[in-house]
Amino acid sequence: MAKFSSSQLKILATAAIGGLALAGCGDSGSTQDEAAGDPQSGGTLIYASGDAEPDCLDPHYGGNYPQGLISTQYLETLFTKNEDGETVPWLAESSEVSEDGLTHTITLTDGITFHDGTPLTSEAIKANIEHLQDPDTASSTGFLAVQKVEEVELVDDLTAELHLSAPDNALEESLSMHWTAIQSPDALARDVQENCEAPIGTGPFQVDSWDREQQINLVRNEDYVLPVEDPERENDLAYLDGITWRLIPEAATRYAALQSGEVHIIDNAQPDTIQSADNANIGHLDSPRPGASNRIELNSSQAPFDDQLVREAFIRAVDVDGGIQALFFDTAPRSHSLLSSVESLGYSDDALFYRDVDEANDLLDEAGWTDRDDDDVRMKDGERLEIVMPVSTNQSVPAEQSLFEQFQAQASEVGFDMQINLLDLSSWYAALAEHNYNLVSAPYTKVGPSVLRILYHSSSIEPAPSGYFANNAQVDIPELDEILIQAEETPDGAERADLYEQAQQMVLEDFYVLPLYDQQNHFLYTADVQGMGEASAIAAPEYYNVWLTQ
Amino acid sequence: MHIITWLARRVGAAAILLWLVATVIFIAIRFIPGDPAEAIMGGPGSQASAEALEAAREQYHLNEPILVQYGLYLGKLATGDLGTSYAQHRPVAQVMAEMLPATLQLTLIALVIAWLIAFVMAAIAARSSRIGQAMGTIIEVIAAAIPHFWLGAMLIIIFSTWLGWLPAVDTGTVQGIILPAVTLAIPLSGFLAQLMRDSLLTAMNSPFALAARARGASEGQVFFRHGFRHAALPALNLTGWAVAASISGAVVVEEVFARPGLGRSLLGAVLSRDMPMVTGIALFSALIYMVVMLVVETIEAFINPAAARGDDQ
Repeated sequence: MAKFSSSQLKILATAAIGGLALAGCGDSGSTQDEAAGDPQSGGTLIYASGDAEPDCLDPHYGGNYPQGLISTQYLETLFTKNEDGETVPWLAESSEVSEDGLTHTITLTDGITFHDGTPLTSEAIKANIEHLQDPDTASSTGFLAVQKVEEVELVDDLTAELHLSAPDNALEESLSMHWTAIQSPDALARDVQENCEAPIGTGPFQVDSWDREQQINLVRNEDYVLPVEDPERENDLAYLDGITWRLIPEAATRYAALQSGEVHIIDNAQPDTIQSADNANIGHLDSPRPGASNRIELNSSQAPFDDQLVREAFIRAVDVDGGIQALFFDTAPRSHSLLSSVESLGYSDDALFYRDVDEANDLLDEAGWTDRDDDDVRMKDGERLEIVMPVSTNQSVPAEQSLFEQFQAQASEVGFDMQINLLDLSSWYAALAEHNYNLVSAPYTKVGPSVLRILYHSSSIEPAPSGYFANNAQVDIPELDEILIQAEETPDGAERADLYEQAQQMVLEDFYVLPLYDQQNHFLYTADVQGMGEASAIAAPEYYNVWLTQ
Repeated sequence: MHIITWLARRVGAAAILLWLVATVIFIAIRFIPGDPAEAIMGGPGSQASAEALEAAREQYHLNEPILVQYGLYLGKLATGDLGTSYAQHRPVAQVMAEMLPATLQLTLIALVIAWLIAFVMAAIAARSSRIGQAMGTIIEVIAAAIPHFWLGAMLIIIFSTWLGWLPAVDTGTVQGIILPAVTLAIPLSGFLAQLMRDSLLTAMNSPFALAARARGASEGQVFFRHGFRHAALPALNLTGWAVAASISGAVVVEEVFARPGLGRSLLGAVLSRDMPMVTGIALFSALIYMVVMLVVETIEAFINPAAARGDDQ
């Protein structure tokens, strides 16, 4: 059905390595001179990461974004995204879906070997899916991505059939994420700690060593085979000798190290440094993450946000545009969508989101919150109009925390008593698990619109054994559930797009969510760094084509 | 009292204190929100299955009654077993052994620098006018009160971004350790200088200094032979505290300068609810503090046996 011919696929995939077009990198043009000349080999790129040190370099384990960022350099996926946002084969050469949608046949590219010298065969697909599904792996992200795969059947050396419990048109998108990257079956058979310290994949770099709390050392894979053809490459090897992946948690230190040339690239760049880097001969790469936008979810399962009028009143009361402008400068364009701007099926409705204090007051009056207490907080039947927002200091950068504080002040003008609780990540998850929240901003990165089912299907209100649940707005609409399931199962692309649009409209129009901006993912780099701009399906920059001028 | 008996009592007291610290840590970490099983199975926000969580609870004895857990915990500690890190899946002792040298290096260098700065500040202040002394006091108070975080950031801006003399990130080079060590040393030197200046002034105006001058000793001789020796004792006494202060300061300094070390391990462990790691580092810090105090007191006891008997002056 969704069958591509092999040659068509190669062309598509070559476009992919030509680079995903990344929004907002236009202003970095000053440092990316065409005059830099031809790519040169050699040199070690020094990368400074502000993320917490990964517990494990194998992104199957857990599965968070920092693991995705680094494993993009040494692991590869079966599929990837091209510059038009289409899912195309990568380690896979082709794929085919059966009429009933229950069998995906994946054929691998021939001639690829893992860093340990073993060839990539269909056995690896089976071993990796089973590794993700093994409880001992403790996989969260990858585990959910391959949830519907019941069995992997080997057809021949390069071909495997994935048998599903229900049709899943998002499977290839799921297999384009590095949390499902393909590793050597021999390596996966090692114990957890060994695999965590040096995962073995097929990527252009490989893990050499790990100096804890300091850096992870990656070296070039001298036997790398690019799975697709690229006419611009003389050989398949990366230009860089290696990458030193430093861990520099403090944003100010990271930026100082970039300015003094101690490091070449920093991640987690903050709005103020991006602004000042503009006139400092430093390049800027804006690589918004796929999946959900950054948005505030309004918990509809309990008072006062179980009343749609109150949800709308809150959205009318706060000044999102002004706040973003003041705190993020021009680094974070406003979103009016549930999905990231890189998601082609994202639906946006800016007419729904505007500030109108009078309207907010009218809505609250209409909802019956007409009394006031001594602090001018609205009351109804003796209850105060209190709303609690736990904020994760790991996930919400300082600018975002300030934005929420502005909302707090603006909400109080119409009679809300909004409390912000700044929490570390574990306490924040605990607050959500205890349903101790009315508002929350919870990022969710996933490739493709199927993230909507994870976030808004009523089954996602059901907590995982750890208490985690993804439907923080607690949207519970049977009709929406049906649409989301249908959208995931339909083999028809146009129908899929239409269903996802309906689903997004339903959530947006009932004011369950206040979209803010894309999940921010900014990188700054020195003028020595050439060839920046390519990224994996999860928007993690790739350094395969990057080279240094000195 | 005999010095051996005295020492035995001190060691016994230290052991009891360590047990109390271990107990407080055991109780305290039970009040931290978050499920330890979740921390084991992939950290915060884990979507681990019920079976996986149950297996983790079983493996780490989290289902046992609290007193049984306490008994197991003390039993393991008594045999020197600090357990396995939830997050890193490696023995806590191994992680600590890897990180300890870096922290020791940092704190020792910082202590030396703090002593040098304090000595110079005290010497200048003790020999200057009333206004000079007042200025000295102000500088000392400010130095003692500066938060490490702010100081580190300022030093990076000045010496790394503006002047370009020193690296912002410590990658194990000689230049790399200067800024972190100075950041740790400056607040410490403020405390030490205050203490040294007071005793220095007392000593320089004391009858024995007067007698030395009368014997024809130069002002420099009086200063080094009498004043400084007298002033060093109270500051030495403070060294136990100074070591403890620099280990807690290392948490911030290691983070700011991206230096590996126990402080950074502790911060990471607290955030990821890695209980065995938190316990290990907290206990170890307490142990270091007690050992240093014991050494300092022993030295003092040898220098001045009367002090050890508690009938000082």
